[in-house]
Amino acid sequence: MSFLFNLLKGAFLRMLQLIWFGKRKISNSLSIYVKTNTGNTLSIDLDPKWDIRNLKEIVGPQLGISPEDIKIIFAGKELHNSTIIEECDLGQQSILHAIKLPPGKNRLNRKKDTKNLIEESIDEGSEANESGSKPLNETLIDLPLEDSDRHENHSEQEQQQARAHFYVYCSLPCKSVEAGKLRVRCATCGSGAVTVDRDPQCWPDVQQPRRITVHCENHDCQTLLSSLAQKDEGTPQVRYAQFYFKCANHVSLGEKDEAVPLYLIKPNLRNVPCLACTDTRDTVLVFPCEAGHVTCLDCFRDYCVARLRDRQFEFDDNHGYYTLPCPAGCQNSHISEVHHFRLLSPEQYEQYQRFGTEEYVLRAGGLLCPRPDCGMGIIPPDQTDEERSRSPDEDDCRRIQCIGGCGYVFCRRCLQGFHVGECDSQQPTTYSSTSAVSCLSGYAIDPLRASEAKWDEASKKTIQISTKPCPKCRTPTERDGGCMHMVCTRAGCSFQWCWVCQTEWTRDCMGSHWFG
Amino acid sequence: MCWDALDLWRQGLIMADLPRRIIKETQRLMQEPVPGISAVPDDANARYFHVIVTGPEDSPFEGGLFKLELFLPEDYPMSAPKVRFITKIYHPNIDRLGRICLDILKDKWSPALQIRTVLLSIQALLSAPNPDDPLANDVAELWKINEGEAIRNAKEWTRRYAMDN
Repeated sequence: MSFLFNLLKGAFLRMLQLIWFGKRKISNSLSIYVKTNTGNTLSIDLDPKWDIRNLKEIVGPQLGISPEDIKIIFAGKELHNSTIIEECDLGQQSILHAIKLPPGKNRLNRKKDTKNLIEESIDEGSEANESGSKPLNETLIDLPLEDSDRHENHSEQEQQQARAHFYVYCSLPCKSVEAGKLRVRCATCGSGAVTVDRDPQCWPDVQQPRRITVHCENHDCQTLLSSLAQKDEGTPQVRYAQFYFKCANHVSLGEKDEAVPLYLIKPNLRNVPCLACTDTRDTVLVFPCEAGHVTCLDCFRDYCVARLRDRQFEFDDNHGYYTLPCPAGCQNSHISEVHHFRLLSPEQYEQYQRFGTEEYVLRAGGLLCPRPDCGMGIIPPDQTDEERSRSPDEDDCRRIQCIGGCGYVFCRRCLQGFHVGECDSQQPTTYSSTSAVSCLSGYAIDPLRASEAKWDEASKKTIQISTKPCPKCRTPTERDGGCMHMVCTRAGCSFQWCWVCQTEWTRDCMGSHWFG
Repeated sequence: MCWDALDLWRQGLIMADLPRRIIKETQRLMQEPVPGISAVPDDANARYFHVIVTGPEDSPFEGGLFKLELFLPEDYPMSAPKVRFITKIYHPNIDRLGRICLDILKDKWSPALQIRTVLLSIQALLSAPNPDDPLANDVAELWKINEGEAIRNAKEWTRRYAMDN
């Protein structure tokens, strides 16, 4: 009996172990690539507990270089020998750069080292080539949005707390908002074997080119730079950093695997309560207004959904983004990285994109195919004055065909099937091929029943009964409550009109029949 | 006892689906009431508030107690609360059905505003009628032509409708 019990207990414990330590076991071995400046790439399995010195000892023999003559570069930093691998923010399949130091330089280093021997011995040990620093993720502080808002010198603890966290939208393969990792490469040659001359201290440092210089280890880079300089006198002889982001949620798919940074999402280091729900949450979205208003991500979603439902996103006039301002109504607070709207569900984001496209088409003077389930955006060619004078009855310029969509031919003014003459109560002329066939076949058709059986007739009638056209742009408008003061929601129209008078809204309307 | 338990259970049901922001705002309105304003949630619907605003000093509405109703719609605070005077009031920006002309209740609404700030704005509107942005045209007209008479009317209405209890 006790044997059976022990067996069961053993199996149970084994299972528990598998469940609890399964993860750790997998992560115990880290597969990475080491690229050299001589064109070799090694695939290496590491224990995350090792330090950089261990790594050099493994890489060195494989490359035929003495471990002391190697420097390891990752994310813009030369890594110090004592750095533990797991502190470096390395993921599976990450790429480290191993650079063979030129003999002369190494000797120089050693000389320097002996000079600072006392410091060195206190610090680390007696080994040569003690250059390098902590990895970027250890030193980087949370980046403020503005250049002027840089962090002052923090104490160690504050710095620990304020360590940068990034959020990205990963389009492939995660298709979601994830934690992100900051990486850097040479803006001239694209090589990752660079060391930055200083850490970025604000978002403009990361986003704008030519803010931070780098030292590039790529041999070809010098020739590339001088050839560029020959072509264009203006090209400076310095190399700049090009920062980019990777998704931390999936195994790196190579050097081209990048993600969009969502720089308005931040860890709530200052414990600011959400503007809408007043809760203090760990992760917040900081609007780019002067006050830096904060909402939690849930309220940001609610805000977007409420504005989306009313089609109240705005076009940023400077950049043309279809976006939202700070909910507190601050000036110049439009979100200019629209990937932040990826916080919405896929369906909502699709709606956002569709509305944005439609509003863009309408703003550009185009129209949308009125046929149900089509909605193709059409931008009719501008008519020359000559053409206009040739067709005084305007029939031709009202005739729009949905090219590239369903092929429907409709009247530009009333958005019904195309007709000749005035818009009201016109039956569409027989443009569709099906009606032509029924004429030829010789069947007797009850015209009454046929008129009832038209697929869009019922909705057309409902629209006629339940809506009034905007006096300016003629968009059918439904009033589902509230006062008589109507504001056209169509992009670029925004006409204010009176539901009763069907003309522009006036003081008199307000006084006599605001609420009917 | 039995009823108390049922009451608690019902209260729990009412509060269950309520966003934390509404709970917090309600608590604060109870604990630190705004001077001259009381707002109490309905027993059966925590989104519906019974509001009483006292007429501001040095206004024709002084001494009056004005009842209002305030409702927090489903997507509050993303959309504005709906507020209406129940007590009749003679004011150029409030119509005969008690509907209020106030920008923050319409297009100037922001989720950064609260029940408290809305009610304070309404109280301020009583102190400073704006006949140039009228809702009740006849009232506004009189307010512009003969302010003295309009104020007399407002005082009379206050005495008649807002002081009887």
